[in-house]
Amino acid sequence: MTIEKLYLVLKRFLASLFILFLIVTLVFVLIRISPGEPTQKYLSPKLSPELAKEVQKSYNLDEPIIVQYFGFIRNMFTGNFGISYEYRMPVLKVISQHLPVTLTLAFFSIIIQLLLGYFFALFSVKRKNTLTDKFLRRASVVMYVTPGSVLGLILIFIFSVHFDLFPSGGFHSYFYDELSFPGQIKDIAAHLILPLLTLSLPGAALFFNYFRDGIEEVLQKDFVLYLKANGFSNKVIFRKHVLPNVLKPVLSVAGIELGFLLSGTLVTEVIFSLPGMGRLMISSILSRDFPLVIACAFVSAMFIILANFIFDIIKVKIDRRIWREILR
Amino acid sequence: MRLKFYFPAILSLLILTSCEKEEFRNTSRVVIAIQSEPETLNPIYAFGINEGVITDHLFLYLLDLKWNATKGDVEAFPMLADKWQWNPDSTSIEIYLRKDAKWIDGKPISAYDVVYSFDIYSDKAVQSRFYGTFKNFYHFENGEVNIQKTFSVKDSFHLIINFMPDKIISLYDLAFPIVPKHVYEKIKRNEIQTAEINFNPVSSGVYKLKKWERNQYIILEANKDCFLYDEDMIKEIIFKVVPDYNSLLTQIKKGEIDFAEDIRPSDARQLGNYKNLKIVPVRGRQYDYVGWSNIDGKYFNETKKIKPHRLFGNKKVRQALSYAINRKEILDQYLLNYGSLCNSPISEIFVNEFDSSLAGFEFNPEKAKQLLEEAGWTDRNKNGVLEKNNFEFSFTLNIPSGNPLREFAATVIKNNLKQVGIETNVEKLEFGVLMDGVLNRKLDAWILAWFIPLPIDLKPYWYSDLTNTQMNFVGYQNRVADDIILNLEKKNSYNTYIELMKRFQRVISDDQPVTFLYWVDNIICYNSRIKNITIDPFGPVQRIWEWRLKN
Repeated sequence: MTIEKLYLVLKRFLASLFILFLIVTLVFVLIRISPGEPTQKYLSPKLSPELAKEVQKSYNLDEPIIVQYFGFIRNMFTGNFGISYEYRMPVLKVISQHLPVTLTLAFFSIIIQLLLGYFFALFSVKRKNTLTDKFLRRASVVMYVTPGSVLGLILIFIFSVHFDLFPSGGFHSYFYDELSFPGQIKDIAAHLILPLLTLSLPGAALFFNYFRDGIEEVLQKDFVLYLKANGFSNKVIFRKHVLPNVLKPVLSVAGIELGFLLSGTLVTEVIFSLPGMGRLMISSILSRDFPLVIACAFVSAMFIILANFIFDIIKVKIDRRIWREILR
Repeated sequence: MRLKFYFPAILSLLILTSCEKEEFRNTSRVVIAIQSEPETLNPIYAFGINEGVITDHLFLYLLDLKWNATKGDVEAFPMLADKWQWNPDSTSIEIYLRKDAKWIDGKPISAYDVVYSFDIYSDKAVQSRFYGTFKNFYHFENGEVNIQKTFSVKDSFHLIINFMPDKIISLYDLAFPIVPKHVYEKIKRNEIQTAEINFNPVSSGVYKLKKWERNQYIILEANKDCFLYDEDMIKEIIFKVVPDYNSLLTQIKKGEIDFAEDIRPSDARQLGNYKNLKIVPVRGRQYDYVGWSNIDGKYFNETKKIKPHRLFGNKKVRQALSYAINRKEILDQYLLNYGSLCNSPISEIFVNEFDSSLAGFEFNPEKAKQLLEEAGWTDRNKNGVLEKNNFEFSFTLNIPSGNPLREFAATVIKNNLKQVGIETNVEKLEFGVLMDGVLNRKLDAWILAWFIPLPIDLKPYWYSDLTNTQMNFVGYQNRVADDIILNLEKKNSYNTYIELMKRFQRVISDDQPVTFLYWVDNIICYNSRIKNITIDPFGPVQRIWEWRLKN
């Protein structure tokens, strides 16, 4: 059984590598055939026209696309994604500078989403069909459909402008290095509360509905009645029998959501001036920074695959019977 | 029990850290908003405006150029050069450098650094932002400055720069930041682009880099060893990256940002009501225009020959289009008069060159209809759209997406042109795609802006050689204009120069290769706690060392 598990994991790993290769190829072709050149920024009455030609040569953009592609693939297999045209440093180094913000946001946001969704769902189910339940269900729909940009601006207006509780942007203050350790923790926390709320509230509303409907549905199943009749306490029934059944669809969605968060959350990053992957990717597309666009796509795709894999493993942990179905 | 423990602990932590924050807020510090992050702090590659502004405060120039509003030109004051002397025919300049200027690593700035800077800026392998621009210096065919012929170093602080005899030399020829030879010469020239000095420069300016937090902010701190240093100057300048415009407004209202540019006119009115904020426009450096492709772009790309554009190739049609567009409506309704009507590529900030007698093309639909009829465009089938040779007058006007001013202008223009029987489809394109279309002559019409370089340079925009004139997107060709441009490159008396500039404006205004719309002010908003700010056409963020904070 362990060998079969290992085989399935290996098979999935190889399939993931193939998908990554396809994504990189697709992005390479798409970005090269779309209009626009990285040397457009060298167009200025103050700059010599020869400069753009020289730069184009140094980026190897004067070579045929197929030659560029094979050169790129060869370098990629040695872990070299090239030098960013904009940042003038290896693209992986650029990405490593933007990843901490994205990782922090994604990690905390998915936890907040799941916890808020879960606890509100529990609260709502216990008050089924009461005014509170109805209110929470309606509010969750409103929260889910509110665009991140609107939600972010509302939160900034209330908590930053009106009450002046939190800063309206940035990852930490300019004087961060000069703060004491508790001061640094507080500084980062103060900067991240509003972005995290902006990122998490719509997701929490989604999980709320998944949890609430799931719990309600499972509680009505015959086996729950059977367990109750056999004298099991409500706590045990809920923890050991209801929750695992509810979690399966929730974890599938959580995998997708985490992948989405890890690939960058553009709107939140722009509104709160956070240096994350979303902003990096968009700016690299707009400036036609080809190596950086491809590397960003690669890293994002890798995270999406990884996030789904992690949640699949959790699903297997919860329900060992279905590992074949999940890992396949 | 647990609450009893945690509550006082958290409370005391909050109080402690709040006091700490207050203490740091009181530092002599100014925060300037920038929309995107600088790529480098190396003046060699400071292609963007933000990089330029920051490196201008990190590196010293030979001369300190200031804008003189009365003259409408720049004036030079000493910076690294303590004094200088031109020879009688202005073909060489003798420069005496200050002896107290130092790099931040303590080494003195010498004449050898000056020579090396010009050497490296003109080197093909370096791909600097100044490559190919040393036409007035003795240079080789590949554009590199001939160091032997151009420079004569008398001693470490005394040098002579020789220029080519038949060129017009201006102070701008010396307006280059000086870089440290002892640092750069250790790096292979073709590797400077990716070297560490791009991010940790060995600078000489009145500010030096304190911290660069990627995509967040750059902190510059006062350099006490610089001769420009003054006890009262602001000790820290922070360039904060704020990509979202609405966040920028919130932050400037809250006082998190002290200085921001490119404020929209409607917001400028609102921000002006805040007592702690000041609004100042920078005038006359940028104008919006409607580009009409004067030539058939497809035919030109295929044959490199000129064929007039089927719609806009005729001067009368272009004049009619300019008469048909109500520029004042856009100026009044969107720009709220933060700008002025534009009649030629020379604005009134150039006091002497500007031709105030130009009447411009005032909104006149009747005159537009008459001119169109004279050009053969009539509405024979009475469907509301003009025709000529079975072609309807219909075209696509392209604008860059995400620019509210141009979206507004495009809507006004579409409605205006409809009145005279012209059908316009407005299409928004991502900027890179739009520029690709413009550069490859795929588009018929577009709205873009031109930023006016200092000194005024007409050739890149209006000279007929379409292969080498990279900014002449519309394919404008006029022999009279060419003659004027070439004459401007020769040595002329000042009066002749002014007369040539005015003649050029008359020619181009009559030809209307583009419809000159309006000069757009760059609206600056800053916190009134900052004093002694210089805001003029030379740039909104300049000479920060002269800024002071109100006590």
